[in-house]
Parts: sequence; C-alpha cells; structure tokens
Amino acid sequence: MIRVLIIDDHHAMRRGLENVLSETPDLVPVATGSAEGDLWHLLKRTAPDVVLLDYHLPGQDGLMLCHRIKSLTLAPRVIIYSAYADESLEIAATVAGADGVLNKNAPANELFAALRGGPGDEPAIPAPRAEALSAAARKLDDGERPLLGMLMQRTPLPDVADALGLPLDEAASRVRGVIGRLRVRVPAGAE
Amino acid sequence: MRPDVPGARPADPSRWFGLFLITRAAGAAVVPPLLILQDLTSTEYLLGALALGYAGASALLLARVRVLQTSLAVWVVDCLAVLGLVVAYGEWRTPFYVLAISALVLPTTSLPPRRAVAFGAGFTLAYLAAAVIVGVDWEEVSTTARMQSFGAMLLVPMIVTVLLAFAAHLLRRLERERQRSERLALEAERQRIAWELHDSAKQRIHAAHLLLSAVSDANLASRSVELALEELRAATADMDTSLRDLREPLFEGASLGEALRQWAQRLQAASDVRIDVVGDAPTLPAFTAAQAYRIGREALTNAVRHAGASEAEVVLDFTGERLNLLIRDDGTGLPDGAAGAGTGLSSMRHRAEALGAELDIVSRGDGGGTIVALDAPLAETSRT
Repeated sequence: MIRVLIIDDHHAMRRGLENVLSETPDLVPVATGSAEGDLWHLLKRTAPDVVLLDYHLPGQDGLMLCHRIKSLTLAPRVIIYSAYADESLEIAATVAGADGVLNKNAPANELFAALRGGPGDEPAIPAPRAEALSAAARKLDDGERPLLGMLMQRTPLPDVADALGLPLDEAASRVRGVIGRLRVRVPAGAE
Repeated sequence: MRPDVPGARPADPSRWFGLFLITRAAGAAVVPPLLILQDLTSTEYLLGALALGYAGASALLLARVRVLQTSLAVWVVDCLAVLGLVVAYGEWRTPFYVLAISALVLPTTSLPPRRAVAFGAGFTLAYLAAAVIVGVDWEEVSTTARMQSFGAMLLVPMIVTVLLAFAAHLLRRLERERQRSERLALEAERQRIAWELHDSAKQRIHAAHLLLSAVSDANLASRSVELALEELRAATADMDTSLRDLREPLFEGASLGEALRQWAQRLQAASDVRIDVVGDAPTLPAFTAAQAYRIGREALTNAVRHAGASEAEVVLDFTGERLNLLIRDDGTGLPDGAAGAGTGLSSMRHRAEALGAELDIVSRGDGGGTIVALDAPLAETSRT
C-alpha cells in the first residue's frame, strides 16, 4: 500500500487523480490539497509515502515546496507533476531533490509507475543532456555553478554545506537561490 | 526600434482641411464688402475677382488632390500667392488679410510644433516685407493708433500659428496615446485568455485524459477510448500552440514591415529560403497591425515549412485607407484538403474576418507556388 498526498490547484485534476488512484489496489489517495496552505498539516496528519506535487501553484511553486519537504527528517518521496515537464524542469527538480518528474499528459500507467517508484526507491529522473545542463548553468552565476554540480549528483545538504564551508541554513538558502534561478518560465499569469 | 515618429508627419491632413476651407471661404467673403466700402476702382475690381477666383480654385484643387495638402512646396506657393495679392493691392491695410491668414492653417497643423512656429515666423516676416515693398508711411504709423494696428496685423499670424500648432500637437499626442492604450488593452486581453487556457481548460483536459487512460489500462479498452485519448492529446498540443502564440508579445513600436522583415530574417537563418519584404505600413491601428502580422507570418512559415519554397516575397501596400498584404512563394503549394492541419489556414481566415478584410489564398501545385493576399480596410479604425 502506497499512501499518496495530492497537491494540485485545479479541482478537476484533484478529482481525477483521486478517482484514478482509488481504483488502483496498491495506491491510496490519503488526502488532497490545493496549495502550500494545505500541505504542511496534511503531511503531518497523513504521513504519506509519496507527495504528488503540482509545479504551478499559487504562492510558492512546487519546486520550492519540494525542497522544503525533502529537508524534513523522514521526508516522503516527491513527484513533480507539471503540464510543461521538460528537461529544464527535470534539472530544476533534481536540484530541488524531487524523486520524479511527470508530465500531466502521461497516461495513468505511467503515473502509477512514478508513484510506486523504482526498486530501492532510487530517484527516477533521467540524466539530462549536456546541452540542457549547460543551458541551466548559464542561468547561474559563477559561485552557484559548483552547487549545481553537487546537487545534480544528489549530494546531501550537510555535505554540500561542508564542501562550501558554510553553516547548514546558509547552504540551504543558497540552494533555494539556485532553484529560484532555474525556475522554468511558465505561461502568462500562471505563476 | 521606431522607424517612424508619428508626430513628425501629418497623421491625417483632412482633419484640419475643414478649418482651412472655412477660413479661406471667410477670407474670400470679406473681400467684396471691403472693396465696395473703399470705393472700387477698376484695377481693384479686377484684383477682387482674382482673389475670389484664387480662393475657390485653391480650395478645389487641395480638396481634389489630397497629397498637395501636406506638401511644403504647395504651402509656400500658396503663401506667396496671397502675399502677392497684398502687394498688388498696394497697401498693408488690405482686404485680403483674412485670405492671407488662411494660408497658415495647413502648414501649422501638419508640421511638428517647432517647425510650424518657424513657418509662421517666416510668414510674418514675409508679410512685413510685403508691407515694406508697397511702402509703409512711417510718419503715419508713428501715431499711436496706426502703430497699434500695424503691430496687431503682424502679431495675428503668429498667434494663429502658435494656437494651431499647439492644438494639432495635442491632438496627435492624444491619438498616439489612444493607440498605445488600445495596444495595452489588447495585450491584457491576450494575457487573460492565455491564463484561462492554461489554468483551467488545459487542466481539465489533462484530468479527462488521465481518467480515460485509466479505463484503457483496466482492459476495458475499446477503439473509442483510444481515439478519445488521441483527441485529448491533440487538444493539449493545440492549446500549447495557442498559448505560445498568445504569450509572444505584440510587436511594439516597430512597423508592420519591420516586424515581418525580422520574422523573415529568422526564417532565412533557419533555412535556405530567400525572402524579400517590399514596402511598409508605418501607421496602422494596433489591432490591424497585429492581425496582418500574424497572417503574413503564418503564410511565410507555410512557404518555408510545408511548401519547400526556395524564394518568397512579401509586398506591403498602404494607401492610408486600405492595407494590402501579399505573400508569394515558389513552393509546391499547400497540401490537398488543406483547410488542413498545421498550416493555420483557418486561423488566417479568422484573423481576416476580424478585420473585415478579404483574404485570397491561391495554391497552384507542381511548383506553381502559393499566393496569399490580404485586402483590409482601415476606414473605421484609423480615423477619430
């Protein structure tokens, strides 16, 4: 039984997801929420195995929330769910510590596979092409690029802080800065 | 990029032509009574007839041939003609004074403010010169009353100039402001539509797709479910295209010709096609410019992507009342049944319809190429 918390700001998506998941024996939609305001208390109350997190949310976007969820002790897995999932989002999601990225036009079986995760719960985001990675690096300044390298290797935050010789919270705020810069441009008004 | 500064050229000469006609008619109307009051001599009789004839002929000519209304040479000739009447009358207190002043209306309202004032100053000096030529009796002018009326006579042209130049300048600025706010409103509307498409409609389609795909997963699959899924995927692809379209800002400042030239350059950089853009349409209402740009852009893209053209040409013809846009290529023509997918023909037709324009698309296969011709009226939108 995999317990899924759904965060999406559109009710049609929430209802659809809930319905599809509840008809699947090994997946349980434990709760749905529409924004950050719902996220934290639902996390505490339901202790899900995985959070299906919309990227475009009112207020803080999915990447920033993902980073904060993954900073919790005993963090659930997080799948970033977006209508515009492409390589640049995959890079940003990797930096934010997400366990998967899924396009909203993927059929249900791909959704189920993403939610179930691979063996050993290894993150399942494909390695980006070199061009995509250098395009991402161009959005950063010189001081941030080593950080991108470490985060793409999924270096744990304490090790990142060690390598940079910074206190943990300082390192975390650097990481948030990188996520902010890698943020994918979204259609007008959707941000 | 601003190849054209709207303030530097007459936006619409006919707006002030009415005022010109009124002042010229008034100038002509005061001639007979003034001449009669001053005991008509035979030369003055002839001069009066000449003045009336000139007033009528000049008004008629300018009404018929509208380009003359904004020609510097015509303005100068007109000023010289009316000052000639003053000189011929032989005294600076002339019955042709109002007629002379009417020659200021068109130049001062068409030129930008500073040059308008310069023109008015030139006219005033020329009037002074005319007065000197016919002989000013300085003894007489030195009496207070005479001096006042002589001074006033020279002052009136300057006052008229400044007032008209200022009013015309204000109107032009208002017009520009109106076009700008029209463009902003258009932009805001596009943002709203983009937001609605993305935030609502697209999410619903994703949800429907997900639900249906779960049905097909559960082995209830039938051909119709497969087809429905396909349709939903195509619908999101369509919406992505529209969203890309909407998100791209309207070209700001640049003229239609300039914007199409830039698009042609982008296409040329990505392919071997040679594209010429001939002509320009500098002052179009924002809505017309935006729609015409999209049509031209789509037609060029079709020529390059679908028709495999090696050469294409864009011809812009702008008469002030109509906009003609022609896109011609030497490609293979449009695919059969090409109300077709991916060529954007129906969106081109809708854009033309929105302008109340005619759109002809002629496609001759076998290398005969395609011709897209837009003929759009500007009458309702370009005038205020």
